[in-house]
Amino acid sequence: MRSGTVSHGAQAAAARKRVRLKFWPRSPAFWFLFPAVAALAVIGIYPLLVALYNSVHQYRLADLEAGTPFVGLDNYLATFGDATFWQALGRTMLFLCMTLPIEIAVGLFAALMLHRPGLPWMRAAARVGLVVPMATTYAVVGLIGRLIFNRQFGVANYLLSFLGVQPLDWLGDPTLAYVSVMIMDVWQWTPFCALILLAGLTMVPKEAEEAARLETRKRLTILWHIERPYLLPGLTAILILRSADMLKMFDAVYTMTRGGPGAATEFISVYIERIGFRLFDQGLASAQAMLLLVLTIVLSRLYIRYIYREIA
Amino acid sequence: MSKRFLQRNLAMVSAAAASFLVAAHANAWTLKEAAAPYSGTTIHAIFLDRPGYAAAEKLIPQFEKETGITIKWDVVPYESTRQKEVLNFVSGGAQDIVLVDVVWIGEFASNKWLVPIKKFTDDPKLADPALNLKGFFPILLDSFGTWDKVTYGLPFDNYSGLMFYNKCMLKDAGFSEPPKTWDDLLNVYAPKLTNASKNQYAFALQSRRGETQSADSFMRMLWPNGGSLLDAKFKSNLMSPQSQAGLEYRQKLMKYMPPGIVDFDHAEAVNALAQGQVAMITEWSAFYPTLTDSSKSKLGDCLGIATEPRGPAGLKPALGGFSLAVNAKSNAKKQAAAWLFIQWITSEQMAKPYLEAGGVPARTAVYQDPAVQQKYPFVKPMVESWQGGVPDYRPRFPEWPAISEIIGEWGTKMMLGNVSVKEGAQTIGSKMEAILKKAGYYDGKKPLLK
Repeated sequence: MRSGTVSHGAQAAAARKRVRLKFWPRSPAFWFLFPAVAALAVIGIYPLLVALYNSVHQYRLADLEAGTPFVGLDNYLATFGDATFWQALGRTMLFLCMTLPIEIAVGLFAALMLHRPGLPWMRAAARVGLVVPMATTYAVVGLIGRLIFNRQFGVANYLLSFLGVQPLDWLGDPTLAYVSVMIMDVWQWTPFCALILLAGLTMVPKEAEEAARLETRKRLTILWHIERPYLLPGLTAILILRSADMLKMFDAVYTMTRGGPGAATEFISVYIERIGFRLFDQGLASAQAMLLLVLTIVLSRLYIRYIYREIA
Repeated sequence: MSKRFLQRNLAMVSAAAASFLVAAHANAWTLKEAAAPYSGTTIHAIFLDRPGYAAAEKLIPQFEKETGITIKWDVVPYESTRQKEVLNFVSGGAQDIVLVDVVWIGEFASNKWLVPIKKFTDDPKLADPALNLKGFFPILLDSFGTWDKVTYGLPFDNYSGLMFYNKCMLKDAGFSEPPKTWDDLLNVYAPKLTNASKNQYAFALQSRRGETQSADSFMRMLWPNGGSLLDAKFKSNLMSPQSQAGLEYRQKLMKYMPPGIVDFDHAEAVNALAQGQVAMITEWSAFYPTLTDSSKSKLGDCLGIATEPRGPAGLKPALGGFSLAVNAKSNAKKQAAAWLFIQWITSEQMAKPYLEAGGVPARTAVYQDPAVQQKYPFVKPMVESWQGGVPDYRPRFPEWPAISEIIGEWGTKMMLGNVSVKEGAQTIGSKMEAILKKAGYYDGKKPLLK
């Protein structure tokens, strides 16, 4: 009887010890990941939870005397009924649909050029040069845009003058202002696409490429059948990251056009900033931001489902 | 005369002399003594990148030396200033001296973010006997620093809309003086001063979306024509014949302005005049130093300055400016230190040094000096503008920032031709009334203050 009791007690103690060990794993992987996860929690998760909380409360910074009562889904309903919100979102989605394909196409072309053998010093210099636009701060990109597209002394009109084109009112015309923002975004982020796709191309086995070149001279055939599978993971990453970036694009647009002329370049983040930090309605702005987050997640899931493929 | 008589009179005379000396000592208020308890305090301010603030920055070392109070400042673009200040108020950010635009006073005062100056002017240790509030231009003290009959700030960076023009361009076109009326500008001057093939235009009206569109462009066209944004009951007055006439006038003026005018901010409009692209602008008086700086302007002796043109309703120039106030969230020591600086920089004693450093003081006395009038040609038209100006050129209630955003968007759409003047005015009117209704102006919850 006594040995059975001891055995039972020992088993219980061992079980408790296993639970404690499970709670504090000794795995190095856990401890290596912990700082990053903790940082993410502080920088990402906590603000997200605060935004979620604000979105279901009335929270007007310039009218705090009215209190911050719980309003349920009122802010979300107000957003659904706000025509200006949907117009801004439509403008942003159009921007995404027009700009992203250009960035990917030009980026792929640049990656294919950089993947060719020969001229190693030139390829190295090009790779370094590609980093410069990406390293430029968003707000500075907008300011550079204001100078490039200035009607009087901008480089854009200067170059067009060689083609006999009269000076264009890039920043004063609604359509051209939209195109100007597109051009600056393509300038800044095409190198990002090029470098990601180049990384995918370097994973293609050389034997497969050489065998393919013996079979066909058509570059597109090699690209589609041999290189494409290696590009898809990078392409998915580009789509997710660039879509998220474009949906939250603010700095460059604001410094370049301030959302104008009229509302031509008032993208969704510019509009949300106006609600949150000019009208100071933090509750409504938080609800709008949450809807934008949902949209970003939906797009990401679609990209992963229909584009991403594991390399066999 | 008896000894007793002499002793009694001597005692009386001595007592009187002693009282006089005590009184004299008490009245000898000095900044140094007043600031002594706050020596070593550091206070924070927000400034703009404009001449008036650069002028203050030049004078601050003198204040710091005299008082031992250190002033630190951040230079922020105007479009970000209100945001930064409100976030400071709400989150307890480091800011003791508040920069208050004329259109923010209602919002800041209603939220109790500012300290009424009475707190300091009633304190003999902090109040300079020479403060002389009556020495300010009344329109400036009332508009920039006062809300609901309580004064919170003293006018610091003070503007009037003025007409700056290129005398040489006008002379070449056959004009010996600038237009006196908006009608003359459009119908007589503009056609002769515009030559698009030579990239020369008669006028530039800064109209970029933001406060520039609402204050400089939209509102400027209403008042001279007898129109206004709101009527006496705070309903939209934009559909009145006078307001519509003003806004239609602006559309007619578009063909005499440079292409892309809708994207012009102050820098672009001032530069257009400075570089000889346009003949006339109506801009804030604060840009006089820029237009006379030979490193930034080609004008030289060709620069002319006048009041803004008159409309059927007379001279109704743009009014704008900033007061300095004390942050109610700061501790008592920093509040006192901030007040001493504000009182000093806006004092009559500092008005001339501030003017000479590039600022525009709000004191009437400094502008009465003939030497000042001679040296600064913008003084005469500016004083004339302040004496006849519209105190509520823009409503100063807390709802103005939201209304300004609406005008910024739809005002630029009107100028671009995306909507007609009538449609734009109707849209602005309905959106504006929705905001005012929600705020409680139509059901008596809020007094009709602007």
